[in-house]
Amino acid sequence: MVVETDLVVVGAGPAGTSAALAAANAGLGVILIDEAREAGGQVYRAPARTLKASTKTRDRDAVVGVRLRAALDRSSVRFERGLRVWSIGERFRTDTAGPEGVRTFKAPRLIAAGGAFERTVPFPGWTLPGVMGLAAATILLKSEAMLPGRRVVIAGCGPLLAAVAAKVSGGGGDVAAVIDMASRRQWASVMLQLATRFNLLREGAGWVLGLARRRVPIHFASTIRRIDEADGLLSVEIGPVDGKGRARPGRSSLINDVDAVAVGHGLVPGVEITRLAGAAHTYDRLRGGWVPVLDAMGRTTIEGLYAAGDGCGIRGALSAATAGTLAGLAAAGDAGALDPDTLASKSEPQLKEAARLDRFSAAVSDLLALRPGQVADIAPDTVVCRCEDVRRADIDAAIADGAADVNQLKHFTRCGMGPCQGRMCGDVVGELVALHAGSREAAGAWTPRPPLRPVPLADLIGSYSYNDMPIPKPVPL
Amino acid sequence: MPDRVAVRMAGYQRGATVQLIVDGRTIAAHDGEMLAAALMAAGLWRLRTSPRNGTGRGAFCLMGVCQECAIFVDGRLQQACSVEVRDGMHLELRGAP
Amino acid sequence: MTTTFDLIVVGGGINGASVALFCARAGMRVALIERDQICRGASGVNAGTLTLQMTRVALIPYALEAHAMWANAPEWLGHDVGVVVCDGLSLAFTEGEEELLTYRAARRREAGAPIEIITGTEAQGIEPGLGASVRVAGWCPIDGFANAYLTGLAYRRALVEAGVALLERTIARGVDETEPFVVNTDRGPIRGRRLVIAGGVWIEPMLAWLGVTLPIKVLINQLSVTERVAPVMRTQVGIASGLLSLKQYPHGTVVIGGGWQGWGNRETGRSGIVPDSIIDNVRLACHAIPALAEARLARSWTGFEAETADVLPAVGPVPGIPEAYVCGSIHSGYTSAPYIAKLLAQCILGQEPERLLFPIDRLILQPASAATVS
Ligand SMILES: Cc1cc2nc3c(=O)[nH]c(=O)nc-3n(C[C@H](O)[C@H](O)[C@H](O)COP(=O)(O)OP(=O)(O)OC[C@H]3O[C@@H](n4cnc5c(N)ncnc54)[C@H](O)[C@@H]3O)c2cc1C
Ligand SMILES: Cc1cc2nc3c(=O)[nH]c(=O)nc-3n(C[C@H](O)[C@H](O)[C@H](O)COP(=O)(O)OP(=O)(O)OC[C@H]3O[C@@H](n4cnc5c(N)ncnc54)[C@H](O)[C@@H]3O)c2cc1C
Ligand code: FES
Repeated sequence: MVVETDLVVVGAGPAGTSAALAAANAGLGVILIDEAREAGGQVYRAPARTLKASTKTRDRDAVVGVRLRAALDRSSVRFERGLRVWSIGERFRTDTAGPEGVRTFKAPRLIAAGGAFERTVPFPGWTLPGVMGLAAATILLKSEAMLPGRRVVIAGCGPLLAAVAAKVSGGGGDVAAVIDMASRRQWASVMLQLATRFNLLREGAGWVLGLARRRVPIHFASTIRRIDEADGLLSVEIGPVDGKGRARPGRSSLINDVDAVAVGHGLVPGVEITRLAGAAHTYDRLRGGWVPVLDAMGRTTIEGLYAAGDGCGIRGALSAATAGTLAGLAAAGDAGALDPDTLASKSEPQLKEAARLDRFSAAVSDLLALRPGQVADIAPDTVVCRCEDVRRADIDAAIADGAADVNQLKHFTRCGMGPCQGRMCGDVVGELVALHAGSREAAGAWTPRPPLRPVPLADLIGSYSYNDMPIPKPVPL
Repeated sequence: MPDRVAVRMAGYQRGATVQLIVDGRTIAAHDGEMLAAALMAAGLWRLRTSPRNGTGRGAFCLMGVCQECAIFVDGRLQQACSVEVRDGMHLELRGAP
Repeated sequence: MTTTFDLIVVGGGINGASVALFCARAGMRVALIERDQICRGASGVNAGTLTLQMTRVALIPYALEAHAMWANAPEWLGHDVGVVVCDGLSLAFTEGEEELLTYRAARRREAGAPIEIITGTEAQGIEPGLGASVRVAGWCPIDGFANAYLTGLAYRRALVEAGVALLERTIARGVDETEPFVVNTDRGPIRGRRLVIAGGVWIEPMLAWLGVTLPIKVLINQLSVTERVAPVMRTQVGIASGLLSLKQYPHGTVVIGGGWQGWGNRETGRSGIVPDSIIDNVRLACHAIPALAEARLARSWTGFEAETADVLPAVGPVPGIPEAYVCGSIHSGYTSAPYIAKLLAQCILGQEPERLLFPIDRLILQPASAATVS
């Protein structure tokens, strides 16, 4: 059975939830779909169902999350939780699968708000159990109130480093070191720009002061060179890097007896839905990679398809909410639920806010953007595609064999063919191919195909009887 | 060998203590926790074997993307980072062939 | 380019690449024009099934020769496309399917395919992964599959070694002259004494460049692949109607196909899956191999396949235009292409092909006229 409505929103993070609310307030029937059980997305993720803080020490994000979910509950938005969207079709058929089987929704308009993936640039040892993404560590800390280990190394780039380190150390863990690709000077210039948003600066400063008080060693302009397993624990070798992420000759040092490592090098927009629908995209290094081409309201180049949030370029949660509201308004306006004047007056303050946030988020995005030298430095033996164990050397060999873009490379090597379908390695692989192809545009991007996430065949087939199946007529003899 | 585990922070109320059976062995966890987190807290980091090199892998992204946490839960392949702990779950870390 | 090639091949799928390869090895100077990259269309995304139980009766003798070629690909191609030779089973679950299967197997056997009808129990002996409800099966020891996504790599290497001028990412836009041929491309004109049209479903617009109208029906075939799973099967499995093809690769993934149709547009090149028909295809697969239900779907995709009015190949000279040829629209075309392309190469090289070609006169709507070529 197909459930029809005015608007389908995929992804219930700040972008999708704001979009759904804005459109519903304007009178559209809205179905909001997320594979999580609760709205909130990555930043405002709900804590585990059974987890309660004994004291009231909720952080700001947690409070916003509670508000967001309450607003959604009060609204007319129909929230379809725990459903994994596996296919998006023409005008806009949305197929989902969950343990209860498949369900299908359809609407003349769709807002893609699926967010971003974390990028980790490979190094030897990044596949060891106990090494995880920085975003993963955040989820453990926030949703599960769990430390990744007793003694933890936190590495990569961006503001999440300090946030995770502060949480681990505040929660009683030992932060063996924070390893930041950015130099002190880069931070200083970002801080200057962040100063326009005082509360954020204060929050960031609070993390840093906390780390200083606990004497957590922070290594600037450094990166993890490799991780090894020794006596069941992890041993982390670090060394200096330049502004482009290239290893600088210089001392490396070892951090031993580590339980867990959280490492992340920024975020990559998840553009599968907009790509699947055939919308135009462009490569934007600052904003994390390939992004859909949008107008100021979030309209893609496909009529009826809108996009908002980190899936359109990394700008952070505040921008995501604003962009979501705008896309929701645009959908309502285009559907005729808002007259042009009302649409314009409702959009105006949001557009101003979006522009303001854009300037501010550019500073942070700059810290998170991929550093080309870091990719060029990946050692031949390092696994790049985790699913299929494809190493840098295999990729280079395929390129030498004539693979001119990422899709041809995939056929030559199985790189990107595993269960994650290249979502983890795609950005780095694009960069590796671009080293030879000349640009990311020439290197291309994986052809998107359903399912958007692996779906158990059992969920797809449900219960059925062979005799009832509509079998097309036999092929000719 | 030292006990390498993820650690539940103090100061929180958690779901009832329940038992999971992992490849025949019993571990304790809390009802409603993320399964992948519960396994880390039990020191079970290695969830699958990589297909070509045969090296151990563990949950990496915890947000449903990397698929490194896919294990058999009551006979069905599921992502341990998107499954809640329930009492008596049978888990198999069969890994990839 | 000022060179005049001995042969220009337009379309770098399995057909075009094979003709180019055999002619180049025989000493011709060959240019291969491919809009994308070698074997990235149907020829790189197909199910790779090398079965006789889905092959049209008229093509069985060709498919038998081609199967032998695939089984020895490293010998004549020089490179591996992951071919696995194994038993093939075509299943019947209902009385109607049993009737269909028995009749079709007999016809194919007459044409030379060693297919035997066996009981469900016997079939389970050959394929322990089968579900319980199989009534009878057609069993053929000459079956198997290739790993189609490796076709491009293997052929690319072979073509380079044979000295073929590979013009990839080059779009052919028309034929400006015929004596010699001048193919108009986005990278300039390419000259050659002979021309082979091998554009898959695009042979229809390409033949129109020569003033020939040959209608091609465009099929949009869907395929699905699971992630790697523990062994669930060891044979190539189909059903009587031909609407299932199923096999597990040595690395563990299972490819599910059978010609279920998606949506697509030859002009824009865009195509995609139809979820309901993916679901039914997967149901059929799980009905045949129940343990498959434990696996997860990793990816579904589509490809364009060409079909002529009589569902037989369009392979031979283009009437009215000396030294122009077409090669395409072969049912189960991946299986038979290397052999049929070899026959066409023999014809182009002035030899007598060892088997009959499939001349297109029968398919042409208006008689060709060289005068329509501008
Ligand atoms: C036997 C087999 C096993 C496989 N196993 C796996 C697996 O385990 N995991 C996995 O992820 N994938 C697997 N695949 C799938 C494979 O890698 C690709 O997903 C498949 O090739 C489909 O390609 P695509 O269309 O998705 O993307 P691409 O390979 O990028 O193809 C794009 C297609 O679009 C066509 N195209 C683009 N523009 C135009 C135009 N203007 N006109 C006409 N055509 C155009 C191109 O010609 C090309 O065919 C397998 C494939 C095969 C054949
Ligand atoms: C999904 C699917 C599954 C299949 N499964 C099987 C199977 O299991 N077994 C089997 O035997 N057969 C199978 N087939 C059929 C088989 O794949 C085809 O018959 C065969 O690959 C056709 O080869 P081709 O070279 O004629 O066409 P294609 O592979 O389509 O090659 C035509 C080439 O021409 C190029 N081209 C088009 N226009 C231009 C232009 N203007 N300029 C330059 N180049 C151009 C295209 O880019 C393309 O690469 C399947 C087909 C599909 C689509
Ligand atoms: S940990 Fe990445 S999908 Fe579960």
